Amino acid sequence: MVARLRGPGMIRAALGTALGIAVSYVIIFIMRSWYDLDPVLDGFAVLELSLFLAPIGFLIGLGAFDYWFHYMSGRPTRPEDHSGHGAKTWRDYFRVNTDHKVIGIQYVVTSFFFFFVGGLFAMLMRAELAQPGRQFVDPNTFNGLFSVHASLLIFLFIIPVFAGLANYVLPLMIGAPDMIFPRLNALSFWMLPLAGIMMLMSFAAPGGSFASGWTAYAPLSVTAPEGQVFFTIGVQFAGASSIATALNFLATIITMRAPGMSFFRMPLLVWANFSTSLLVVIATPFIAVSQFMVLFDRSLGFNFFDPVDGGDVLMYQHIFWFYSHPAVYIMMLPGFGIISEIIAVKSRKPIFGYRMMAFSLLAIVVLGFTVWAHHMFVSGMQDWIRVPMMITTAIIAVPTGIKIFSWLATLWRGVLHLDTPMLFALGFLSMFTLGGISGVMLAIIPVTIHVSDTYFIVAHIHYVLFGGSLLTIFAGVYYWFPKMTGRMYDERLGKLHFWTTFIFFNATFAPMHIIGVQGMPRRVADYAEEWAGWNLAISIMSFFLGVSALIFAYNMIASWRGGPRAESNPWRALTIEWQVSSPPPIFNFDSLPTVVGGPYEYGVPGAVHAVFKDAEVPQPAGATASGAGRGHGSGSAEDKE
Amino acid sequence: MRRERSRDEKTPVLWMVIHGLIASAIGIGVGLAIEWFPEQASTQADPIDHLYDVLIWTSVPVFVTVTIIVLFSVRNFKMRPGEEQLDGPPIHGNTRLEVIWTALPAIVLVVLCSYAWIVLTDIEEAQANEMRINVVGQQFAWTFEYPQAGGKPIKSTQLYLPVDRPVRFYVKALDVIHDFWVPAFRMKIDAVPGIETRYRVTPNRLGTYPVVCAELCGLGHSVMRATTRVVTPAEFNAWIAERKAPVAATADGEIDGKTLFTEGNGAATACSACHTLADAGSQSQTGPDLDEALAGEDAEAIRQGIVAPDAEITEGFQAGIMPKNYGDTLSDKELDALVKYLAEVAGK
Amino acid sequence: MEAGSISAGIALDHHDDHHDDHHGPPMANRSSRVSHEILGMLLFIISEIMVFGAFFTAYFFIRLVAEGHRWFPFEGFELPVAIAGMNTAILLSSSLTMHWAQTSIKNGNRFGLKAGMLLTSLLGLTFLFIQINEYVHIGFSPQDHAQGTIFYGLTGLHGAHVFVGLTLLVMVTVRAFRGHFTPEHHHGVEVPGIYWHFVDVMWIVVYTAIYIV
Ligand code: HEA
Ligand code: HEA
Ligand code: HEC
Ligand code: CUA
Ligand SMILES: [Cu+2]
Repeated sequence: MVARLRGPGMIRAALGTALGIAVSYVIIFIMRSWYDLDPVLDGFAVLELSLFLAPIGFLIGLGAFDYWFHYMSGRPTRPEDHSGHGAKTWRDYFRVNTDHKVIGIQYVVTSFFFFFVGGLFAMLMRAELAQPGRQFVDPNTFNGLFSVHASLLIFLFIIPVFAGLANYVLPLMIGAPDMIFPRLNALSFWMLPLAGIMMLMSFAAPGGSFASGWTAYAPLSVTAPEGQVFFTIGVQFAGASSIATALNFLATIITMRAPGMSFFRMPLLVWANFSTSLLVVIATPFIAVSQFMVLFDRSLGFNFFDPVDGGDVLMYQHIFWFYSHPAVYIMMLPGFGIISEIIAVKSRKPIFGYRMMAFSLLAIVVLGFTVWAHHMFVSGMQDWIRVPMMITTAIIAVPTGIKIFSWLATLWRGVLHLDTPMLFALGFLSMFTLGGISGVMLAIIPVTIHVSDTYFIVAHIHYVLFGGSLLTIFAGVYYWFPKMTGRMYDERLGKLHFWTTFIFFNATFAPMHIIGVQGMPRRVADYAEEWAGWNLAISIMSFFLGVSALIFAYNMIASWRGGPRAESNPWRALTIEWQVSSPPPIFNFDSLPTVVGGPYEYGVPGAVHAVFKDAEVPQPAGATASGAGRGHGSGSAEDKE
Repeated sequence: MRRERSRDEKTPVLWMVIHGLIASAIGIGVGLAIEWFPEQASTQADPIDHLYDVLIWTSVPVFVTVTIIVLFSVRNFKMRPGEEQLDGPPIHGNTRLEVIWTALPAIVLVVLCSYAWIVLTDIEEAQANEMRINVVGQQFAWTFEYPQAGGKPIKSTQLYLPVDRPVRFYVKALDVIHDFWVPAFRMKIDAVPGIETRYRVTPNRLGTYPVVCAELCGLGHSVMRATTRVVTPAEFNAWIAERKAPVAATADGEIDGKTLFTEGNGAATACSACHTLADAGSQSQTGPDLDEALAGEDAEAIRQGIVAPDAEITEGFQAGIMPKNYGDTLSDKELDALVKYLAEVAGK
Repeated sequence: MEAGSISAGIALDHHDDHHDDHHGPPMANRSSRVSHEILGMLLFIISEIMVFGAFFTAYFFIRLVAEGHRWFPFEGFELPVAIAGMNTAILLSSSLTMHWAQTSIKNGNRFGLKAGMLLTSLLGLTFLFIQINEYVHIGFSPQDHAQGTIFYGLTGLHGAHVFVGLTLLVMVTVRAFRGHFTPEHHHGVEVPGIYWHFVDVMWIVVYTAIYIV
């Protein structure tokens, strides 16, 4: 019993959480009595500190930091025995696991959980909006619903699910036995559920959940009820998680590619995650800081956004969008990578213009940092910023167009296998184009002045995020399902899922363009009678859309449990992850592959991407071993034994 | 193994182009036929709507191009039974094509942006003889101030505008960010605490149009509405003259509670912005329905509800929405009149 | 980036002990000459620079853009430029001692390592102490006005980084005294060292922006 309490795991994690809260009480008590504040124990102050310390207590208890503590205290670190690697039972998914494949699955499953919760909130919203006037929820709850809806779907679904898929396949694709910092990888994952649970818990806060939108504009977020801090602090954990993962991806891609895998032999998914990770590492600190500033203004009375005392309100938006515009590409580029993989394999043709595909990703990364103020065209910022931002925003369509046209050229004259992943990929091509086009319309300032903050924006959001990101996620999940689970999904249900999604997605979101331009503002629980018809139709269609998501859920669960066994390479793909068994062996490879050609040489006679030689890899003299802080393929250092 | 180039490949391109042209024509037709915009009531509206039409003209062909290529690829190149093991031809790229599809969108976009810039300067151009109106947003109501030469500005919760007279709005916010939008004018701008934002319009059509708060500002965001009345210059002058007279006073000098309720007194926001009251003809739902809430309450309770609204929170509503400063913004006389009025009519 | 892959082919084993029942991972290929620890730290520092960047954005807006903007000295508030300047010198010299510690261990000089680490930690601690003392005597608080907010914001953010850096340094010092690190293996000194140099350089930027400009 004592061993179980002291050893890392859920029990110790619960203790850690409780301890975190207790420590918060103590600290607040000491600080407030020091400054002679009344009351000595302020509930909100304790709550806010607990929101930081309880998750940290949880992580320590779970064992996410054990190895580092061990190392830092100067005790000799034990050589690894890899006992923490891999998963034998379902319990292994509930501990700090350092295997990138386990982490990948943890990520994907957790983020889909939040997708369903976020989607459920959307259903509640649509129920409320089915008719003008008030149906089920009061305005404050409604504001909370769309705020949590968007926050969950963005920070807990789209961004991490891409990280999860890449976590699983990226090391395999570049021929690496694991990620370079496996413990950091585990830590990144475990911060996620904490962030998500925190955001959901906000509904229990006095005054309701955070309700200032996912954008949390100051000063509304500064004066909002206490639920706001659940967002402010939750985002810190989600953000820290994505920075850590990005850093991990970058270092892995740079230092761990298999012999022969030059940058221009990398699959485009790897390129896409490389670009995304650059965006994350550079941009994400900005949202962290913006939320810290809100927290300081709220809780400590700072004046960042207080105009009376010399603060600047628009500053919030500049800092926020300097992250959040690049963030929309964080939510799209990995999807581009998935689509490149699928289209090449399913068309049985090399990617058309591989180098331009890679360069256009980098071009989007660079341009992505120059357009943030297109979200602020009506914010009252300096007039002269607008036109340059309009031009850079429009120009982003050029590298994106290069990608779209290259995919189309890849399709042309191929042998198209129209199975579920490919259907989603093709659906993505046309739907994302539509969303991109409405984006370009939004770049055109005179039009934006009218449609900004209307349902036209909501339509754009969902065409790019649902029609763009989510369709690529579905495509990717179907495509790698055999690899990740060792089973085949049900093709008939998959196709049914595609067609229902595609149809009801358009039926739900296309009319929003019209009511938006007609003048229906976004973020309202109530609207004028003239839009009643459209909204009712939209709501009904959205319920069907919800049902289509259930088809997906059923297919995944049933196939995972009882689907037919998958072969190692059911798609006849060339990239390395398909050259190992499904699911891959515990350490990915018995010996490393050597890359001898491009990743997409379909139709080239005799072409291979990588070969496995059992030959010894040369070992340089003087290579020493020392567990200290070393990366790959390690296990968690457990305290017991 | 590679698939033979057995199927005819010239005709698909031709067919595709023909289909694409037809589909684009239909798409543009539908796009232009849709009733996108609300009615036009300012000189700014026309160039914007026109620009939107131009965007439809350019967007539809882009979308059709992508979609038609997808559809034709599916139709012509899908795997047929027996082709399971075949591959396509190993085409790695084509520089000429890549240059074209880089340059063409770039040109289109630069042209669009230039045109948009022209429209932007056009709709924001300064006009002769502009009238200044201050717009103040606060949770959750609008106040419009008409500065008067050598006098106190006239305040109103409704926006009166003379037709064909250029106006310039100076927009401010007292608490959080709001957004002053008149869809019929096509123009909007945020009301930002600490700074003053502006825009110009020239109303050119008589009528009544909604004013909308377009930036999330809290609980009452969806009901933060007001009305614009574009009237003839004569009517406008008459309205100004009437407004210059002491506020809310009836002919015999008595203060009229109903006017106070529906229009406020300039400093105090109109109650009708948030409350339903049958007698005053208001139907807002931000606050409690006063016909229900006040039925049977005595004057003292009503006064309490106005001066200290959060002392007792009505079931189903939230504290903090109703301004707490009515005790200051209403004079004692006005408060008396208002309470008397409510006691008389509420629930009747 | 291409250059990185040239060195492909050198593989490094990192684990000695292979249990019989445990099949270890294959040796990872090293496709870049940069060590992953240093690369990780450099990437992390990019993120850190952006954290400071966001605060400098706030500084820029509050000092130059906000309505009615102004800057010290106002209302009789002065910033103690001289004391902070002295503090700058202290922090800069700690970079030198850090460097000494790093070169010492590379040359196998254990005394240099220990003394260098000890000195660096002490200098860092002094810096933090003087900074706190400055807070106590400065005469305005972050709640007073946005200028105070950003003053405390930037110096406090930097102070927090000094604190984190110090924690790392103390750990390295402890390990140095326990006899860890060898001329061949000293990433444990080098990586915190990089971080400490970053903290120093950042201070020069903060100091220039807040006290001098
Ligand atoms: C995945 C997410 C994602 C992606 C990829 C994009 C992509 C783009 N977005 Fe979008 N955007 C959002 C998510 C995304 N957006 C969200 C969430 C918001 C709302 C935030 C909020 O307020 O809550 C938003 C809001 C938003 C605004 C602000 C509107 C407002 O609030 O007033 C603007 C304005 O310029 C804009 C523009 C664009 C543009 C130009 C692109 C471009 O990158 C699109 C480029 C792609 C194409 C154009 C299609 C393919 C190209 C071709 C086929 C070539 C030929 C094309 C032409 C010649 C036109 N977006
Ligand atoms: C990845 C991002 C993503 C995704 C996938 C979605 C998915 C959906 N969104 Fe969301 N949305 C956003 C991102 C996203 N949204 C963002 C960023 C905003 C802006 C927020 C803001 O203003 O701050 C927004 C705002 C937003 C609004 C506007 C709110 C407002 O401004 O007032 C609406 C309104 O209809 C909406 C609806 C929907 C619907 C119906 C879906 C559907 O596609 C959901 C489908 C999925 C499911 C339904 C889940 C699965 C099913 C079940 C759990 C079973 C229950 C089923 C039934 C009851 C039938 N969303
Ligand atoms: C911005 C919105 C808003 C405005 C303007 C407003 N109210 Fe209210 N009012 C509310 C809300 C919300 C409540 C319910 C919450 C509460 O009791 O504080 C309320 C409550 C009340 C109550 C108490 C009802 C009860 O059940 O006892 C009275 C009386 C009242 N308002 C009268 C007025 C009058 C008179 C005016 C104008 C002078 C006015 N209100 C202006 C929003 C508003
Ligand atoms: Cu005011 Cu929304
Ligand atoms: Cu953007």
